[in-house]
Amino acid sequence: MSELIKKVKALLNDKTINVFVGYEKGSADRIRACFARNEAQANKVFFDASCTQNLAGYLLKHEVKHFGKLGILANVAALRSIMQLASEFQIKDGEVYVLFANPDGTFVEFNDFHSIEAYLQTTDTGIKAEEQERIASLEAMSNNERWLFWNKEFEKCIKCYACRAACPMCYCHRCTTDVNQPQWIPVASHERGNLDYHLMRAMHLAGRCVNCGECATACPMDIPLNLLTYQLISPIKETFGATAGMKADATYALSTYKPDDKENFII
Amino acid sequence: MQEFEPKIVAFVCNWCTYAGADLTGTSRIKYSANVKIIRFPCTGRIDFMILMKAFENGADGIIVSGCHPNDCHYSTGNFHARRRWIVFRNLLNFTGIDTERIQFSWVSAAEGFKWADVVNNTVKKIKEIGPYENYKKIAVSTLFNEEGASNE
Amino acid sequence: MSRIGVFVCHCGENISATVNCEKVAKITGELKGVEFSTDYKYMCSDPGQTLLKEAIKEHKLDGVVVAACSPRMHEPTFRKACAEAGLNPFLCEMSNIREHCSWVHPKDDLTTEKAQDLVRVMVEKVKKNKALNSIKVPVTKTALVIGGGIAGIQAALDIANCGHKVIMVEKQPSIGGHMSQLSETFPTLDCSQCILTPRMVEVAQHPNITLHTYSEVEVVDGFIGNFKVKIRKKSKSLDEHLCTGCGLCTTKCPQKKIPNEFERGLGFRPAIYVPFPQAVPNKPVIDRENCTYYIKGKCKVCEIVCPTKAIRFDQEDEIVEVAVGAIVLATGFDVLQPDFFPEYGYGKYKDVIDGLQFERLASASGPTQGQIRRPSDGKEPKKIVFVACAGSRDPAKGIEYCSKICCMYTAKHAMLYKHKVHDGTPYVFYMDIRAGGKMYEEFVRRTIVEDGTHYVRGRVSTIYEKNGKLIVRGADTLMGGIPIEIEADMVVLATAGVANKGAEELAQTVHVSYDSYKFFAEAHPKLKPVETNTAGIFLAGACQAPKDIPESVAAASGAAVKVAALFSNDELTRDPLVALVNRQPAPVFSTCVGCFLCQSVCPYQAIEREEIKNRNGEVIKTLARVNEGLCQGCGTCVALCRTKAIDIHGYSNQQVYTEIMALLND
Repeated sequence: MSELIKKVKALLNDKTINVFVGYEKGSADRIRACFARNEAQANKVFFDASCTQNLAGYLLKHEVKHFGKLGILANVAALRSIMQLASEFQIKDGEVYVLFANPDGTFVEFNDFHSIEAYLQTTDTGIKAEEQERIASLEAMSNNERWLFWNKEFEKCIKCYACRAACPMCYCHRCTTDVNQPQWIPVASHERGNLDYHLMRAMHLAGRCVNCGECATACPMDIPLNLLTYQLISPIKETFGATAGMKADATYALSTYKPDDKENFII
Repeated sequence: MQEFEPKIVAFVCNWCTYAGADLTGTSRIKYSANVKIIRFPCTGRIDFMILMKAFENGADGIIVSGCHPNDCHYSTGNFHARRRWIVFRNLLNFTGIDTERIQFSWVSAAEGFKWADVVNNTVKKIKEIGPYENYKKIAVSTLFNEEGASNE
Repeated sequence: MSRIGVFVCHCGENISATVNCEKVAKITGELKGVEFSTDYKYMCSDPGQTLLKEAIKEHKLDGVVVAACSPRMHEPTFRKACAEAGLNPFLCEMSNIREHCSWVHPKDDLTTEKAQDLVRVMVEKVKKNKALNSIKVPVTKTALVIGGGIAGIQAALDIANCGHKVIMVEKQPSIGGHMSQLSETFPTLDCSQCILTPRMVEVAQHPNITLHTYSEVEVVDGFIGNFKVKIRKKSKSLDEHLCTGCGLCTTKCPQKKIPNEFERGLGFRPAIYVPFPQAVPNKPVIDRENCTYYIKGKCKVCEIVCPTKAIRFDQEDEIVEVAVGAIVLATGFDVLQPDFFPEYGYGKYKDVIDGLQFERLASASGPTQGQIRRPSDGKEPKKIVFVACAGSRDPAKGIEYCSKICCMYTAKHAMLYKHKVHDGTPYVFYMDIRAGGKMYEEFVRRTIVEDGTHYVRGRVSTIYEKNGKLIVRGADTLMGGIPIEIEADMVVLATAGVANKGAEELAQTVHVSYDSYKFFAEAHPKLKPVETNTAGIFLAGACQAPKDIPESVAAASGAAVKVAALFSNDELTRDPLVALVNRQPAPVFSTCVGCFLCQSVCPYQAIEREEIKNRNGEVIKTLARVNEGLCQGCGTCVALCRTKAIDIHGYSNQQVYTEIMALLND
């Protein structure tokens, strides 16, 4: 811990960064994100195994960005977010200082995208077994059962957009939900509008989702939103050979093609 | 009881399928009047949300059709569209939306017969499956909710 | 409130036989925003168009829907009529109630109802239409021709003879390309040099053509009519203005043992050299990799002997920037390196050569002055085997296509051989003889019948050396696949024509697409064979696919006409149905977030980056911008844009959304 704090202080002192995005303990010792800009704030920086939030979502937020040069305490999901954001020209190499928290509690600096890419090649980036099981159990259902399942889940949605705010890939200044000419997505949180919204979100994240799960964690209604996008990860990998957030110069699976892409439904 | 006449909307590209449907007409090949065409420059232009909107507004079936691979007027629009549909169909299946109601096809400007077949087979299939009650239900219940809310 | 006019056409009886046109006009006339509606026998006739124009004026219409035939047929007609009546043509739409309705459905109420639905959709769409003006793009009337082979030469001369300026860039020290290496040409056996060199000279002397040899295109920016190109003129170590081309330096150069590329390694050249005697320009270059001075720091014999003091050892590469309006790619092809076939022993056995080497042997200006001598010992080969399809049509080797020229040149080789070695015996192993072309089949017949070439239908499996002979082992499939072995003195491999080295990089520099074999891709395989998907860039010759000389010349002239047509106007007028990225007042500037996922879907490289800077000149936002000159209006970017920052005229989000709503909610 003291090592981490020392490091953050040093980074702030020598002006390598202006703000460090890490974790701290909030009220009732709950872990929350912190934005350390001075020694006092750096002293509060905390890390242990319970710190799992993907902090990369903050990197593009105007409120954080305007502090100046950013440093981040990254986990695997954050590293992948950074790679994906880089491939979408949102972060340039060297723009963000990346300190990576190893599972064993030690820290490594990643000085460039290349070293992040190399690291990601060696680590497990897949979705968790329990999530895989949930997807499999849904896939085993009949179409109508799945419809009823999701209908019930979407019924709960209050369109608070917490999922959108938590998602590191939802960085558009104007979301399609906010477009009103035409009004693609109904504003009200009724079943139809909710279905529209979640289908739209899942499609916009298809091939971009880095399976950090922040959307489901953020959802106050406990809708398993992450399953919608997770479920698309393996078909995209199998059919197009693409996985999001692994390379800084990757091409987006849906903005490229192969002449012999395989499908079995077009006559 | 009156026979169920499905509402089917076809989203087609201007250069192949629209022209193919023109040829169906020129060749006087008959097909069902249930299908109505909306013209797009290219299948690449067809946003997935357009399909969602069609179901939402009461379509029982959808046809999406464009140029065969390698024949796209814009050379690659249909390739991008194909990727989009591969992913979108996965998502629709996963959320329990009836992908059987969406017929994707490649119909070239020379395939007047094929267009008639695609239309007739789709109409036949949708007649068998019946109206898209699931989707209509949420559309109707929505209307009810909105009116209900104002009445309360 | 809109003032839309609906005009329902009977098309004689083509529509009215099954659709109640009066009813369609009446019902749709009651739609909100429809000011006027009528039906008429022939809307496209003169009186029909006059009716339309008068209604526009009389009822002050701000939108028109013509319900008639396919818009693919008469949309231009009615849009023009609208424009003549003072209505912006893009406020006119057509409902297709003939091809898509009356012709395909029986006469009943459903058909008339469908027609009404189709009209209603267009009425709603027209309400969202915007008045648009054609896009005008200025045109720089200079063409860039990349590649100085026969295709490039033809294209350059044709364009220059139309009175336009041409800049030609050639990678080698001389123009002429592969054709200059050939001995005689099929099917007439006229000497390649004799017909080519006058054209080369014409290029050099043409007042409209600027020639850059030993040069390569490095950067291409811009778009149709307005390209900016950077050309690297590699240093020739020579002041070309002073050099008279006397050639003294080339004879005195002490470094004489460099394999001659032009002779395909069958001869040698010095370090300061002219590639071949008829080269244009006929001035030497120093090959710095092999020049003693550049390697060891001393020699300078050429400088000492040069009577005009033209040698410049310290000369540097020069970058030339030019503005051009069109580009013709004529970079040609290459032949497959024969070491691709270890089973044929190329490289291992000196007397296994490729077709281009045989051309040099047969050429009067070649290393043997046109006598057929085998490379190993200079003896005249008495038995020679030609292997066709060496690489071509061989999926196992990764080349599935037919190289097209080999059947003919192999027949020619066999014929030339017989003409020069009367007592020789030529064999040709072939898969099929593809001799489609004027006088081609007759030519092959002559080789077989008059010159007695033995054609063996079958593939060669292996070639090995035994007792000073090359044993060619194959099968004769016409004789039931019996194994066949020939003791040959020399073997010529008709290696596949492949894309030029560096074709991929050039395609990326110039921004054109290429196929899986790295040949440049045409915009349409049938109807746009010389156009690329990038407007203003055209293809000529074998850079597109293997082609023979007449085909290359024809394609080059085709490309030249496209360029001349483009240059026939000072401005380019384009349909304004293009995509655009929204712009908003500061501090938003646009809802585009600059993810540029649209950039990779665009088949036309029409999406550019625009940097928004603050007063201090710092970039605060990078936005996508559609280049109207390049966009062809496919709309693929629109469907991909998550934030709906891109939209497209004519098929805008508003328009298609409205169409669906109108169609499904009656």
